[in-house]
Amino acid sequence: MTETTGKPGSTILIVGLGNPILTDDGVGPLVVEQLRPLLADRDDVVIKIDTHGGLRLMERLMGYRRAIIVDAMVSGAEPGTLFEVGPNDFPTAHSGSTHDATLPGALYVGRKLGGVLPADEDLRLVAVEANDIYTFGEGCTEAVLATVPRAVDLVLRLIQQAPGWGDPAGRLPDPEPSGQT
Amino acid sequence: MTRISIDPITRLEGHGKIDIFLNDAGDVENCFLQIPELRGFEQFCVGRPAEEMPNLTSRICGVCPEAHHIAGTKALDDLFHVDPPPTAKKLREMFYNIFYATDHTTHFYALGGPDFIVGPDAPRLERNIVGVIGKVGMEIAGKVLKMRREGHDLIKMIGGRAVNPNWGLPGGVSKGINEEQRDIIVAKGKEAIEFAKFSLQAFADIVLANETYVGLITGGGYTHETYNMGTVDENNHVNFYDGKIRVTSPSGKELCKYDARDYKEHVAERVEEWSYLKFPYLKAVGWKGFVDGEDSGVYKASPLSRLNAADGMATPLAQEHYEKMYETLGGKPVHHTLATHWARLVELLYATERWVQLAEDPEITGTEYRVLPTEKPTVGTGCVEAPRGTLTHQYWTDDRGILTKVNLIVGTTNNNAPIHMSVKKAAQTVIKKGVVNDGLLNMVEMAFRAYDPCFGCATHTLPGQMPLEVVLRDPEGQVMRTFKQNL
Repeated sequence: MTETTGKPGSTILIVGLGNPILTDDGVGPLVVEQLRPLLADRDDVVIKIDTHGGLRLMERLMGYRRAIIVDAMVSGAEPGTLFEVGPNDFPTAHSGSTHDATLPGALYVGRKLGGVLPADEDLRLVAVEANDIYTFGEGCTEAVLATVPRAVDLVLRLIQQAPGWGDPAGRLPDPEPSGQT
Repeated sequence: MTRISIDPITRLEGHGKIDIFLNDAGDVENCFLQIPELRGFEQFCVGRPAEEMPNLTSRICGVCPEAHHIAGTKALDDLFHVDPPPTAKKLREMFYNIFYATDHTTHFYALGGPDFIVGPDAPRLERNIVGVIGKVGMEIAGKVLKMRREGHDLIKMIGGRAVNPNWGLPGGVSKGINEEQRDIIVAKGKEAIEFAKFSLQAFADIVLANETYVGLITGGGYTHETYNMGTVDENNHVNFYDGKIRVTSPSGKELCKYDARDYKEHVAERVEEWSYLKFPYLKAVGWKGFVDGEDSGVYKASPLSRLNAADGMATPLAQEHYEKMYETLGGKPVHHTLATHWARLVELLYATERWVQLAEDPEITGTEYRVLPTEKPTVGTGCVEAPRGTLTHQYWTDDRGILTKVNLIVGTTNNNAPIHMSVKKAAQTVIKKGVVNDGLLNMVEMAFRAYDPCFGCATHTLPGQMPLEVVLRDPEGQVMRTFKQNL
């Protein structure tokens, strides 16, 4: 898996978060890989893949004005459901490691330390409800895979909408009915 | 019987659930820890070239990919019957100690630290890194993040990538370091030593100076007299990268010392129908159930166990603190689970000192950092001390080096039985006559967290911190009361 290196003047970071060999947990990396060719001419966009949340994710976000994190989600919704949320839209939200800090906690620490980080309204989480995050395997399950094009579209829409980012209040309506393939 | 569920355990990698069963009197009868199984890794690996394993296994876990990477690389050395040159071994060990320093720092300040720095009875919402910062100030938070950042930068410089390194090869590593890089590593290492000293001082000021905390550490609720396991060098000093695996008894006597490839002669795995995870135990002693003592084959493999199983530390400052810890806690071995946090800081200091020692070694910039394997592969075992316990990889291949079988015993699995025992004992100490509240439940979780367990892999799904729900049921199973957090 390769990483796009930072380009001077980049202002938007897209992170595909997840484990590419753990079935649906790999949906984040899968989505951002599909975004690479579509955003190749955007010098202001940097695309990265990571498996770490918490403090590591916050450190990853430093220096960017805006960021989109693409991740798998387990909320009990229908597998394949597409969500778009802000970092504080879930009372318990954090995209990542329960081993150190929640994302809001990590952002708090980073900002307190004077780090340049996206404001909450400039940080969007695009998440796909997973079906299986416990079986090792390359590739996502059918419902999740079918949502990948919509997740790609959603990220593109968000970038096109910048600086508005769509609805800052939280989740946007699904472009299509949830969980439909 | 009344049942209390802690589901899942917060601030731990992976999703777990603790069920606490109370008897009619409202006291703890039994505890069960249940973890969702990660399925199919062996099947996933079979049929692939063995040399993919260091990169593949590093993706099992989002917390300690470096440990899997190095254990996998060492297993390939053994598999291909090749002995890496000294420069390669030193580079690997230096890399590994830098990782250790970074990992132990994160654990103490972000995961385990909140229990002591913020306090075990503090409101749950404050027992996190934000609470830690509120207590110790932004200057320390800055130091913690600087330590982490610089560790990751060095790991990337040496190992090729900041996450999931792609550097280890059978017989050595894919690249060395130059003099300029060595100077950077030495300079950062010296700063890291100061940070480790500072952390031990902070532990002394905040925890050891507080009689309540010391009482908590040394109290019976968090004490288990089991065997201890750890890797030692030729002087029986702690080593994270290589050596023999030594096991000592609850009274501190050596039970056995063996090469990693012989692990199956010494360790067996117990299966319990209520748990997905196996329970390793010492064959020579035998499985006697979830009990302490010389006659029980239960062992621990943790920072505290490593110190207990060794005769000392190989670096001077860590040795000083090693002696101070045992002096303070009443001699060796120490069986207080919560002292694991202290042991982890002693290991942090050792890791930083060893990092500088190796970086200053004249051979570290050598250009002979790989020997090409020439023999047919057969079977190979690789072992390192992961931060969370002894980590063993074993691979079998055909003549072409295609994997036919894989077996891993990961750090936390070693501690599966003692974790269960610790949770039960803590629960018995703090839950009496059905009285339970947030603070009490945290005391139970503290027993668990001291092991820094890591059951998951990189399951970074949202929401990562699941809600906590505790259900109290009467002996007929009816819900008496429900506690909810983060819901």
